[in-house]
Amino acid sequence: MTRQWYEPLSFFEWLKRAFSFLNIAVFMITAIFLFSELRFDWFENVVGSYLASSNESRPKTGIIWETGKHTTNAHEYLNTIINEKEDIQANVHGASSFSSLVSGILPGAWVTLEKDHFKTLYFSLEKTMAAKILDPAQLIWLLKGSMLDRIFCEGITGGVKIYFIDSENRVIKQIELENQDTLELEKGKQAVTGELSEMEGFLGRIYSAQKFFDAVFKLPTDILPDLMVNSEILLEQKGKIINVGIWNITQDGYIKLGFEFEEMDSKKVVFIKGREWAVWQLNLYLKGDEN
Amino acid sequence: MNLFLSVLKLIRFFLFLGLILVSLAGIAGMFLVFYTAKDLPQLPSPLSRIIERPQTRIYAANGKVLTTIGVRKTIPLNMVSRDFINAIIATEDHRFFEHHGLNKLRTLKALYITLFKPGRVQGASTITQQLAKNLFFSFRQTYQRKFKELLVALQIEAANTKEEILHAYVNQIYFGAGAQGIERASRQFFNKSAHELELSEAALLAGLPKSPTNYNPYRHLDRAVKRRDIVLRRMAQVGFISDLELQQAMFEEPELYHEKTDSRTGSYFQDALISQLIEKYGEDVVFHGGIKVFSTIDTRLQSYARQSLTKGLERLDAMMGINSEDSEHPQGALVAIDAGSGAVKALIGGRDYYKSEFNRAINSLRQPGSGFKPFLYYSAFKTLGFHPGTIMTDKPVIIPVKGSADWEPQNFGKIFTGDMVLKKALFKSVNTIAAQIVEKVGPHEVNNIARRCGITSPLKDVYSVALGTSDVTPFELASAYTVFANLGILHEPFLFWRVEDAFGRIIFEHIVQEKRVLDPAIAYQVVDMMKSVIQRGSGRSIQKLGFNRPAAGKTGTTDHYKDAWFTGFTPFLCTSVWTGFDKKKTLIDINHVGITGGRSAAPIWADFMMKALKSEPERDFPIPDNIRFEKVDTRTGCSPVEETMPVERHESYKGNKIVEVLQVPLKPEQNLCLKEKPEEMEQELEIQ
Repeated sequence: MTRQWYEPLSFFEWLKRAFSFLNIAVFMITAIFLFSELRFDWFENVVGSYLASSNESRPKTGIIWETGKHTTNAHEYLNTIINEKEDIQANVHGASSFSSLVSGILPGAWVTLEKDHFKTLYFSLEKTMAAKILDPAQLIWLLKGSMLDRIFCEGITGGVKIYFIDSENRVIKQIELENQDTLELEKGKQAVTGELSEMEGFLGRIYSAQKFFDAVFKLPTDILPDLMVNSEILLEQKGKIINVGIWNITQDGYIKLGFEFEEMDSKKVVFIKGREWAVWQLNLYLKGDEN
Repeated sequence: MNLFLSVLKLIRFFLFLGLILVSLAGIAGMFLVFYTAKDLPQLPSPLSRIIERPQTRIYAANGKVLTTIGVRKTIPLNMVSRDFINAIIATEDHRFFEHHGLNKLRTLKALYITLFKPGRVQGASTITQQLAKNLFFSFRQTYQRKFKELLVALQIEAANTKEEILHAYVNQIYFGAGAQGIERASRQFFNKSAHELELSEAALLAGLPKSPTNYNPYRHLDRAVKRRDIVLRRMAQVGFISDLELQQAMFEEPELYHEKTDSRTGSYFQDALISQLIEKYGEDVVFHGGIKVFSTIDTRLQSYARQSLTKGLERLDAMMGINSEDSEHPQGALVAIDAGSGAVKALIGGRDYYKSEFNRAINSLRQPGSGFKPFLYYSAFKTLGFHPGTIMTDKPVIIPVKGSADWEPQNFGKIFTGDMVLKKALFKSVNTIAAQIVEKVGPHEVNNIARRCGITSPLKDVYSVALGTSDVTPFELASAYTVFANLGILHEPFLFWRVEDAFGRIIFEHIVQEKRVLDPAIAYQVVDMMKSVIQRGSGRSIQKLGFNRPAAGKTGTTDHYKDAWFTGFTPFLCTSVWTGFDKKKTLIDINHVGITGGRSAAPIWADFMMKALKSEPERDFPIPDNIRFEKVDTRTGCSPVEETMPVERHESYKGNKIVEVLQVPLKPEQNLCLKEKPEEMEQELEIQ
């Protein structure tokens, strides 16, 4: 059974219908709904509580979380730098030779080196070899006479730079060690297997032992200590000298001399150095003989 | 009756329509909440936990904190002045303790104004909404962002007490001048802790967050005070203060703490420093790493530099008849570098950092004009064997340029004065002689010398380089001149000595390395010539202003007076000053006379150097062992025939002719009466 809706026919019927129970109920509920919201903010509370309940499942995004991530990144990066530096510092601290010092510092990295440690490394070298790194008089001045505050090592490609700096970070003295050089210096007492003729730098300046020593003995005797500065190394070698070569480059006032030893079937070359002016005088005799 | 029924019908229609719309809006709203909620950011607990970030500190050379980046720590609410809390609540959200994150009536009002009153903006954000925005959202205004911000605010309200919210808010709010959080702001502006703030101070600070730049009390005290008064009246309206307290507080003049303003005013330096740090370590480390940076800046010198530049530019304004109301003012830059190390002691990159952050000291490439001549003269001495006593002729010069029109350089005064020694040619800044030299030595060689001295900007290999037509920055020029101050030794310029992490572990240290790039004797000869610039040349205004120490320098003025420079040095400090317009406008005084470096930049230099060096002992440049001095007749380049006075220079009448005598430094192999070498001799030299 259905009731057909019809439009109220009179004003009273309009009023009756307008103030029907249903209409009043809907109006009251709506009013209560709105006023309670204004009074108690329940909408805000419900939404806020719902969001709080789902907080943990939501992403850590937004400016402040980003800031936190940046901080973490920054600390990780700084820790990487510090850790690398500490590793290098440990390597340097444990270095027992200049070559291990050089190999322990990567290019671009830097560490400080204790003064005593530098002294230890310096004195571990044979005197003449050590003098190639730093003149003893300069070392005395640096350690005892200058305003030296710290020794600072910086890795470069294939070597290391050592800075002697004062308390204002000014460089008083700077030396550069190349890996190859330090190895050579430390191997100063060791012989290099091979022949002089196979080595670059001696070409055209290789003389038989006989000829070399003949020329040597023509020199005044007071020149000889300067001609062969660390000659004791030669006496420590086994075998017989067959050839002697003169290096074609001068370094710090010295010229390298190569002595080729023959023992059984093997040949080796031992290097010593001579003062440039003494070697130059010897050369005159050697060339004179040729002429 | 029918009309009444129609009205009733209409009401019924709208009632039901309204109910349907409200219901639909409710459903849509709930859907939107669920939909948006999954993308909302997670809130930390407690709320203040992530507000903290390690503080990067930048120290001046004297160990004082120059500036800090980041927030050190939050302070509890009970350590904040009650007046400040009342002031911020009264101003920003006086119903803060009543609502749950949303002030509905205020929002409706704001919505009404936004929709029906175009052009007017009404803020309606509660403190909680502002907090949500500051913590999680960008400042891009979108409806979606506003809705998300509202939802986060509701969650903040649901999950935290009002005290916790207020605590987070006052600790992260930005007050301007680098101050974030109330404690920092209180220290910055009043040098006191947040709990010591008095009513008037608290109200001033509470007024700043609305627009930290516009109300910055260091820059716009009047605006800040007006804003403070609004805050105070609002406090009185809300009932936080009585009328008497209102009147008393409004009557008070704020006593701002100015010590820290230097670091802000000197922000050109900080910008440069931070840029270098970012380049080296990245933004994360600089802004979030909590590192300690020990800069080279000397706050005392920086302050003097600012004062001298401001004073000098005001003087320039007056000279040019420019009023404070005029929109365009000449700009300036000053860079001071410690000659002995390369440490930058002062750096100002413009007239007012707050009006223009463009750092003219480092980023503005301008023609140096005659400021480039020292490199030219060094090249001539080195390559051609010339010396300060070599004679050349100031005469009209036409230099053919391959593939271009002939170059006809002009002297500043448009006159030619005949023979003169090179020392005089430099201090008189004779362009025709400079042009003849560059023709002989070649622009490439001149540029090589400049590059050796540390100029890194691109330099064109053209003849006009001798007159300074290749752009350089004041920073470069100051640095390059230190090489002359050190008689040929280059120290790389730098802005910081050391960088440490938060635990004091060293990350970087600057080592001062010396690199000899110029011959010391020749460098000394150029320095001696540059001393004459100050004693009797284009920079003589310096001595007139009372600067009487041994110093050397060179002015520079470019075509049409677009740039005016003075760069000079003592054995301790090298300073370059540039003045000019950003848009390369002419510097011209009220009498329509062009303004030179000697008139605009040199007085700034003198003022700064007098203050900067007042506690330094007076010292002249060391004379290299292989230098001897001889007197020379400036017109003949030979020893003067009649010599009576044992001073460096004198003028005497010999018949009707004035004899001008100068003392010139010479190397052992150099002799006077050296005319510029004929072509054959030059060729011989080249072969050698």
